Amino acid sequence: MIPFAWNVVLAMVWVVLTANLSATNALFGFVLGYAAIALMQRQFPALHGYAQRVPRFIGFLFFYAWEMIKANARVAHDVVTPEWQMRPGVIAIPLEAKTDGEITVLANLISLTPGTLSLDVSTDRQVLYIHAMYLDDEVELLESIKDLERRVLEVMR
Amino acid sequence: MVEIATYLVFAMLSVALILALVRLIKGPMLPNRVVALELIASLVVGFIAAYSIHTGVDDFIDVAIVMALLAFMAAVGFARYLEKGGPRDD
Amino acid sequence: MTEWLLEGLTALMLLLGGGLMLIAAIGAVRLPDLPTRLHATTKAGALGAALTIAAVALHFACISVTARAAAVIVFIVLTAPVAAHLIGRAGYFVGVPLWEGTVKDELRDRYDPESHVLRSGLTKQAAESGGKQRGRDA
Repeated sequence: MIPFAWNVVLAMVWVVLTANLSATNALFGFVLGYAAIALMQRQFPALHGYAQRVPRFIGFLFFYAWEMIKANARVAHDVVTPEWQMRPGVIAIPLEAKTDGEITVLANLISLTPGTLSLDVSTDRQVLYIHAMYLDDEVELLESIKDLERRVLEVMR
Repeated sequence: MVEIATYLVFAMLSVALILALVRLIKGPMLPNRVVALELIASLVVGFIAAYSIHTGVDDFIDVAIVMALLAFMAAVGFARYLEKGGPRDD
Repeated sequence: MTEWLLEGLTALMLLLGGGLMLIAAIGAVRLPDLPTRLHATTKAGALGAALTIAAVALHFACISVTARAAAVIVFIVLTAPVAAHLIGRAGYFVGVPLWEGTVKDELRDRYDPESHVLRSGLTKQAAESGGKQRGRDA
């Protein structure tokens, strides 16, 4: 979070120095700030790993957008066709995420995709209970959620 | 082109509002009605957006902000109320 | 040329958003139980609303509108899953019946409504070591 704040500050400095408040210029300033931080990060412990995290984050955004589109299309198709193809159910997902923040982000991302809805976390925080619409292949569903979790943790840790 | 699209969206959203109203009346329990209310709020936000394009007045966006905020607060309030044990069969 | 493309994109996003919301409404009427209805309404509905707002930003294409539109979109995307989770959780624990086509329910018999303890169902040892690490109870 701190390196990101620095990056935003550097972008703002760039905007002020060039006296040009447009979205393209701000974005260019952000890219320049990112390059500066990427060069400096070895010397400053607070900045460690930032240069690797930004491309991962952008990659994650694309991955998640694609998942969203697929899930939306599936649910929409099921809603408009007469027979139900869904086999809904509540299943338990073992959690890799440990802290409150990680579990919150993961649960919300799971809830945001149609077809999966997080219901609750067990009291000992080992397991996340989700309601899923398509349980034809439980192993596949479990794997796709573990994949999502792995990517989330990669970005957050 | 945008003009035609807004008219189409108005038509779609009107049908959607009627359907949401059907679910609101049918229930069968309070949680289902809350779902319908949440959906109606989303539909109204969409309506405001389409209307803002239709009339060319951008200030309607502020109305959409308030609408989204109110819908979220209502959902949270209803969920608390249900969990604390209010009547559910209404 | 650019203008034409921008208009086309605006119209497309409007129609896509409207279509998604219409599908969400159809789902709200047709789907058989509370959680499946939530799948359709809160998420498809919120996404449709976000798309139409994005179309507004594209249509006016000036900073003040774009900033406000971005705020609305971020707000909708942040709150939609929270609202869905809250309603779904409250409905589930209140005892709204699930559809008879539901194939599996791993939660119901692991929840104790008296003490509000929700067991994880993993082996006891794993659960204990996890509990020790964080030392948190309901």
